Amino acid sequence: MDTFLRALSEGILLGGVYALIALGVVMVFKASKVFNLAHGGVLMFLAYLTWWLLEPKGLPLWVSLLILTAVAVLFGLTLDRFIFRPLIGQTMLVTFIITLVLGFTVIPGVGMLLWGGRPQVMHVFPSGSMTIGPVTFSYTFLFSFIIATAMFLIFVLLFRYTKTGLLMRCVSEDNLISQSLGINVKWIYAISWVVGCLSAAIGAILLGSMFAVNSDLGGLAIVHALPVVLLGGLESIPGAFIGAIFVGLSEVFAGTYVDPHISGFRELMPYILMVLILMFRPHGLFGLRRIERI
Amino acid sequence: MLPGGVFNTKYESDVAILRTKTQWFLLALGIVLLFLIPLFAPDYWLSQLTYIAIVIVAVLGLHVLTGLCGQISIGHSAFMAVGAYAVAILTTRYGLSPWACLPISALAAGLVGLIFGLPCFKLKGFYLAISTLAGWYIIIWCLKYDGFSSVTGGFIGLPLDPLTLGGLDLSSRSALYCLAVAVMIVAAFIAKNIQRTAAGRAFVAIRDNELAAEVSGISIFRYKMLAFFIGCLFAGVAGWLWAHSQLRVNPNQFSLLDSIWYVGMIIIGGWGSTSGVFFGVAFLKLLEIGMTDYITPWLGDMLTSIKLQVHVATDIVRGMVVVLFMMVAPRGIYYLLERLKIYYRLHPYAYWAR
Repeated sequence: MDTFLRALSEGILLGGVYALIALGVVMVFKASKVFNLAHGGVLMFLAYLTWWLLEPKGLPLWVSLLILTAVAVLFGLTLDRFIFRPLIGQTMLVTFIITLVLGFTVIPGVGMLLWGGRPQVMHVFPSGSMTIGPVTFSYTFLFSFIIATAMFLIFVLLFRYTKTGLLMRCVSEDNLISQSLGINVKWIYAISWVVGCLSAAIGAILLGSMFAVNSDLGGLAIVHALPVVLLGGLESIPGAFIGAIFVGLSEVFAGTYVDPHISGFRELMPYILMVLILMFRPHGLFGLRRIERI
Repeated sequence: MLPGGVFNTKYESDVAILRTKTQWFLLALGIVLLFLIPLFAPDYWLSQLTYIAIVIVAVLGLHVLTGLCGQISIGHSAFMAVGAYAVAILTTRYGLSPWACLPISALAAGLVGLIFGLPCFKLKGFYLAISTLAGWYIIIWCLKYDGFSSVTGGFIGLPLDPLTLGGLDLSSRSALYCLAVAVMIVAAFIAKNIQRTAAGRAFVAIRDNELAAEVSGISIFRYKMLAFFIGCLFAGVAGWLWAHSQLRVNPNQFSLLDSIWYVGMIIIGGWGSTSGVFFGVAFLKLLEIGMTDYITPWLGDMLTSIKLQVHVATDIVRGMVVVLFMMVAPRGIYYLLERLKIYYRLHPYAYWAR
């Protein structure tokens, strides 16, 4: 029973962080219909940047956070202006391949070139842990979950209730009509990329302090974001949250109950989920079913 | 556009791949030259050229899948791994002849490919690519997994016996090169002709407009699966060649980045053209050789602080080249050459080339 409770709590805590990472992918997809596989690469790059600012440079946390935010915003704007704006109107497959190549080779490559790519430890949250009944939470996981959920809620509320959020939904519906109604579509695309990169920045801090900062962090992030996004359906933000909890739980349960028999099964779990979701519920739990026209 | 003075007077000459005597002559000369290379090329280049020929075989399969049918696979190196492991396991554990394993490797890769192609029953576009990404990871995980190591050799992999053909030793560099080039030529011939069959036309119809193809009576699921199967057959054959050129298989030889580069090669060469595959593979591979042999050592000496990780510069440059091609010349080298050819043939009247 204790093992079960421990696995349950760890799964939920992990799921919250995955939800935030997946949110970045969903946000960009909602506005610009680009399936952003570069998210993991950006996350890995920003994680190394955070580590570099905090540990070798020894800057205080708030200065590092300011610099990180600035870099993330700049990153989003650059990606939007120089890569994806010239490609508006191309098929989804084209942008998919570009994000694939950028996110798996170019961006992590630059990160490795600058910072070496060796595993590093980053201290953002206080160390120590808290015990409730039979379950022990480490502060890092607990704070990560709280921050991730809070940021997730903030992003969702912004998307739901602000004018910019409304415009983003409008543009995702039909960018041509939005433009003719006087919406600045370019600006909306830029905002969606900036939001995506900001969520990658937060994910970088959280994942980087939960696990070590290393060159596989980007792969880890995108691999967990993919089943979340697929399960939530590419269009649904609440779906992403529920999907994330499910993915976190299934991963931790696989780690607790299957790993002793089949070692390394935990890492395999997200991929198995991906294939199963794609085979049996390709539109996810809450995604829209599309009707195709010639 | 045909060269000046060449007219198609018969239906056969219209569908022929090679139309003129000059083209036949050039092709024959090219093939003879390819087989003469081992006489004067140094060992290093011979092994690189062998590698290029093997990659061309694999990418020809991807060309059928991606270039013709429009389905992206980013697990192609894992399907190659299935072919390579099939021959390694069957020859070392069961003592089968490697030549008998050639069709078995191809079939094994094709069948495994079908499993990860299954989601195309309901899906299209990049969803399928994600399924193949998962497929890559699952296959490589199985090859590394300890529980299967009595069969696959786990992390260490399996050694192979040198290839022989009726007492003839084929394990020397030049013999392997000739074998790889011969397989490459056959594969190119098959790939080129798949394009001209009913199935090939169905693939192209699916690529261009899935719904329209379905309405015209093409069974989408069947043809997508067929494309997957054919693509993975080529990958299996490439894996068979790879296993014999390295005389050892292990899971790290088949990286995810390789699969991404295979897609990049299709893009650089030009979607949907068989000759584009050759251009794409040669371009990206020569770029890699140039970077690792000349540029990165120099860069490492210039900037000593990044000397340890300077090798990733190769990946960065290759990635940027693929992205640039997609943005600036999305139809690849093939189309650029075609344009050049038309320009040359029409030379003084360039304004006709529209």
